[in-house]
Amino acid sequence: MASVKLTNVKKVYDNNVVAVHDFNLDIKDKEFVVFVGPSGCGKSTTLRMVAGLEDISGGTVEIDGEVVNDLQPKDRNIAMVFQNYALYPHMSVYDNIAFSLRLQKMPEDVIYSKVTNAAEILGITDYLMRKPRALSGGQRQRVAIGRAMVRDSKVFLMDEPLSNLDAKLRNQMRAEIILLRQKLNTTFIYVTHDQTEAMTLGDRIVIMKDGYIQQVGTPAEVFEKPTNLFVAEFIGAPKMNIVKTDLVKEGNRYFVTPCGSRIEVTGEKGELLNEKCVPSGSILLGVRPEHMKLAFAPGENTMSARLEVNEMMGSELHLHVFTEDGTRWIVRVPTIDLTQEQRASLKNGAQVYITFEGKVMHFFDPETEKNLIY
Amino acid sequence: MKKYSDLEYLKLSKGERFKYKFLSFFAAIPVAIGNLFKGIGGWFKKAGLSIANEAKDIWTTFVQGDWKTKLSFLIMGFGCLARGQILRGLLFLAFELVFIGYMVLMGAEYLGLLSTLGTKGPYQMTEKIELMPGRFREVVKTVTYADDPTIHNSFKILLYGVLTIFFIVAFVYTWRVNVKQNKIAEGILRSGKKLKSGKDDLRSMVDDKFHATLLALPLTGILLFTVLPLVFMILVAFTNYSSAHNGGETGLFHWVGLQNFQTLFSWDVGGVNYSATFGEILLWTLIWAFFATFTNYFLGIAVAMIINKKGIRLKKLWRTVLIMTIAIPQFISLLYVSKMFTLNGLFNGFLMDLGIIHTAIDFWGTPTLARVMVIIINIWIGIPYLMLIATGILMNIPADLYESAKIDGASGWKQFSKITLPYMLFITGPYLLTSFTGNMNNFNVIYLLTGGGPHVNLSNGAGNPGDTDLLITWLFNITQKGFGEDGAQYYLASVIGILVFIVVAVISLIVYNLLPSVKNEEDFQ
Amino acid sequence: MKNKNQIPATILLVLGAVLTAGGIFLLVNRFSPMWSFSHKYMTDNAIFVMLGILGLFLGVVGLLLSRSLFKEGREIQEGEGLKQHMGMKASARISNTVIYVLLVLISIVWLVPFFCIVVQSFRVNPTGMTRYLFNNPDAALKEGLTIRFGLDNYRRLFQETKFPRWYLNTFIIAVVVAVVQTIIVLCMSYTLSRFRFKLRKPLMQFMLILGMFPGMLTMIILYQVLKDIGLAGANAMPGLILVYVASSGMGYYVSKGFFDTIPKSLDEAARIDGATRAQVLYKIILPLAKPIVIYTVLTAFMGPWGDFVFAKYVTGVTPEAWNVAVGLQQWLSTSTNISENYTMFCAGGVIVAIPVVILFMCLQKYYVEGVTGGAVKG
Repeated sequence: MASVKLTNVKKVYDNNVVAVHDFNLDIKDKEFVVFVGPSGCGKSTTLRMVAGLEDISGGTVEIDGEVVNDLQPKDRNIAMVFQNYALYPHMSVYDNIAFSLRLQKMPEDVIYSKVTNAAEILGITDYLMRKPRALSGGQRQRVAIGRAMVRDSKVFLMDEPLSNLDAKLRNQMRAEIILLRQKLNTTFIYVTHDQTEAMTLGDRIVIMKDGYIQQVGTPAEVFEKPTNLFVAEFIGAPKMNIVKTDLVKEGNRYFVTPCGSRIEVTGEKGELLNEKCVPSGSILLGVRPEHMKLAFAPGENTMSARLEVNEMMGSELHLHVFTEDGTRWIVRVPTIDLTQEQRASLKNGAQVYITFEGKVMHFFDPETEKNLIY
Repeated sequence: MKKYSDLEYLKLSKGERFKYKFLSFFAAIPVAIGNLFKGIGGWFKKAGLSIANEAKDIWTTFVQGDWKTKLSFLIMGFGCLARGQILRGLLFLAFELVFIGYMVLMGAEYLGLLSTLGTKGPYQMTEKIELMPGRFREVVKTVTYADDPTIHNSFKILLYGVLTIFFIVAFVYTWRVNVKQNKIAEGILRSGKKLKSGKDDLRSMVDDKFHATLLALPLTGILLFTVLPLVFMILVAFTNYSSAHNGGETGLFHWVGLQNFQTLFSWDVGGVNYSATFGEILLWTLIWAFFATFTNYFLGIAVAMIINKKGIRLKKLWRTVLIMTIAIPQFISLLYVSKMFTLNGLFNGFLMDLGIIHTAIDFWGTPTLARVMVIIINIWIGIPYLMLIATGILMNIPADLYESAKIDGASGWKQFSKITLPYMLFITGPYLLTSFTGNMNNFNVIYLLTGGGPHVNLSNGAGNPGDTDLLITWLFNITQKGFGEDGAQYYLASVIGILVFIVVAVISLIVYNLLPSVKNEEDFQ
Repeated sequence: MKNKNQIPATILLVLGAVLTAGGIFLLVNRFSPMWSFSHKYMTDNAIFVMLGILGLFLGVVGLLLSRSLFKEGREIQEGEGLKQHMGMKASARISNTVIYVLLVLISIVWLVPFFCIVVQSFRVNPTGMTRYLFNNPDAALKEGLTIRFGLDNYRRLFQETKFPRWYLNTFIIAVVVAVVQTIIVLCMSYTLSRFRFKLRKPLMQFMLILGMFPGMLTMIILYQVLKDIGLAGANAMPGLILVYVASSGMGYYVSKGFFDTIPKSLDEAARIDGATRAQVLYKIILPLAKPIVIYTVLTAFMGPWGDFVFAKYVTGVTPEAWNVAVGLQQWLSTSTNISENYTMFCAGGVIVAIPVVILFMCLQKYYVEGVTGGAVKG
């Protein structure tokens, strides 16, 4: 149970490739922080620097107020779960979990109770005498977690622990990690490339790209107020529609004009535009697919579009449509909102009309790709 | 040469593509060599810069350091001792004392003599021997190193001279570390932290400095038993060291500059044409290495493939039969096989018995036949090993590659030439290179089979070169067999050794830079 | 119908038995002139020997094949693999037959020298080289030779020569080298595989360059130094061990290749679990590297049995200090030696080869794993 503080942390590899630039983050005690980003963004490197598996090229890492830069991993009192589990193949499950405790020279009876307790929680009691290779992927994952659990360490690090599992198991294990977190009640740093995992697990999410932090915030913050285009596109599935268009200021009111329409910016967004005195000009407009509205007849502010792909997801439809200027939009419609006839009419090439409300828009500077209002 | 873009290249016909590839291969060679020199230049530049930086750092350490640091410049380890790091301090101090002791007792003297390799050689002396009481007889005796310790021994002077230089380099390095330690310690103390204790140091030897612990023994061995002798032998190439001039016993040797290289490259030295001999042996060495490598390679793959073919039973039996050859010490199998093919050997008897021939064939007496035989017997020796390697790789080729090839309609031969072979070549590229250079230096096969003979085209000169001699066996023979008044000409062996190194290094560098597994590492992954 | 394999398997079984018996008969026939029916009629001795070997070998192959067919037949009956078996086409059967013929030929080529050396090691008279493996009537008539077989060579080897001493020398050297060299090679390869320190790349490049120098070059000076410190000649054993072992760190490639295949995350997990680097090595890596450890021990043990050049150089003219290679080679060094000691060389070769081969065969699995796992990637 400890806070972790990274100050100006930097990682430069031998070939002068900079993997992490100037990383600053204050992780509070018992917080669950998720590093998320595409592969090669430096998230794993950062985690491994916290663990002591990579040298820190610059800056400091503190655990519980103590600078740990020069400490060996074993002296940092951390636990870690690896992507490929890293179970010791020549040891039984019991010995795997007991390994760290034996290194601490704990008495065998204490080890026994700790290991069996952890096995109980994870539901692997029946496999304690098996070797890792006789286990399924999910079971191995549990052993790996068990090995980290028994250590009572200050910080719990997880490096893409679910990415080697199939989709169904992944969902199940995700839920179990939430339960585990409640039981362990310690500081977690979790690395993933999957935004769903990040959103569901994290108290705070750190979104990274090319070694830079893009945004740090709660799941709601990064979803509703992405600071730049990258975060906006990365968080949320299917990803946000981005359209190049003009923002028009008329007195205190703002309008956007995608594909010949003219939609007024309303609500908080409009106020913020006003506050920041954003001038008229070319912008990148972002609208999430679930905020798009589908109509079967032209109406106020609708854009006429042609349906190209209709993905039936069960509870909802993902419609890929093209407006007349050639822009692709994805529209997410709950299946239940449509009548039988409407669904039947949604064939390739069908004529539809799309629009969105004034309060759901995001505005980005086309040059800097920064959000214009947050 | 014109460079094609990818799309232009794809439009070429098969012949044009081959020509293009062929030409670009050779066009790449000068570039590779250029890069090599650029690399060496860059290395020197970097080394120079880092020395300059070190010097600057030493200076600032001295200027900014406290009195403990300053005194450490003279008395190594003083800073450590004064700051309580007893273990480190003592080690530094001990090293300095050993160094000074060595230099005073031996090092300085040998270093001084290194430029001449000794001036006082063995001399002759008349000695009166009392045969009977009162009756003396004068005997001329050669006084050598063993009798008179003041006689210089060039061998020892060169050896200990080199060792002393090693020692001095090590001392300078340690001294530098000692200075750095002071700077670091000052920094740590200034920031208010504690220094590492001797116990911490010992603990780090099995943890964060574990690699140093592990490497200490192997590297010491390599330094003393490979690097030092090699440096010595390279220097020998610039002396006239031979069994007639071996130091304090038969006469001093001395520096001769590049004279030995001249000897090897001249047409006529005492009736021997060394450059022709060298050229011929080098050529045969390359031919041998080529055939020895590639016959083994392809036949090994072939054998591995038929043993691993689906539906073939008793795989283990076939493999075991072949592997037996690896297990039996080579000197037995090679010596025995070489005797099998002599004039009165089993093989001749067998052929005569069958009525295929009527007079025995002199397998080892005709140069060309002997060379062919050596290559054939080498196949017998080498295939099992390659079969094992190839089996390992064949089993690792993803089955889906073959499945997709079958679906695309590839025949068995196409599958081999388009999947198996490229895959093998890709994976074993570096192995092929090392095996080629290894074969260039394949002493055992040649020495045990033919001993270098027959001596038909080649027979003159130091080391009594023969037609199947490789550079390496020739080199060995030179060190064994006396020739002329010099006896065994170690200097010539040394020159050949250096030339072998140059040939091997050049081939390795060129091939290595052109290897696909180095160039496109991801192709098959 | 019980089993589709039964008929071919039975045929092979009978054929194998007949061929084995025939082969043994022909060979035994060659051994003993008394039984020889060919004494008067046949001169083509080699044909019989060849037929004998071929028959024996084919017989054994036939027997083994029939066994494997029977076994498979039983499995097929239980339903497994039936489809695959039935699907085998006639063309595949033909090409497989060709391959079997090829494999038998290869096996014979590879085995014949060993067969010959064993046979000749039992020959008592003559002791020199002959063109004939067995009694040859023709030669007997012409050269007045009667070949006799017996255990004489082996007796002489142990009673009249220094062979036992050489054997002991070699064995001691091999054991010490196996232990020390394994430790050194493993230290080196583990370090270069697992640690990333500043000098790692330069060190590996440096050793690559060192390896390009012919090692023979250093022999002259090593010999001189050994002589100076009194470890040449009669006391050569420690000197030889020292030299074999000292530079063995340079042969780290194969085991490094193997270590590279053990996932690094295991080390990392163990380090996070609280292990020091040293504990990682002996608690995690070494148990997993069993094949390569055995491979290294095996190759290190086998090395000194074959070393001939350096041992000869260092031990010189002191027969007490020779190893088997130097001693046996000396028996073939001049033509007088050959005519007296050729068969004893064969006997010595057999005695040297047997333990090494047995050891090798027992540990073959690990050797293969080492070669295929490490050699190529290194």
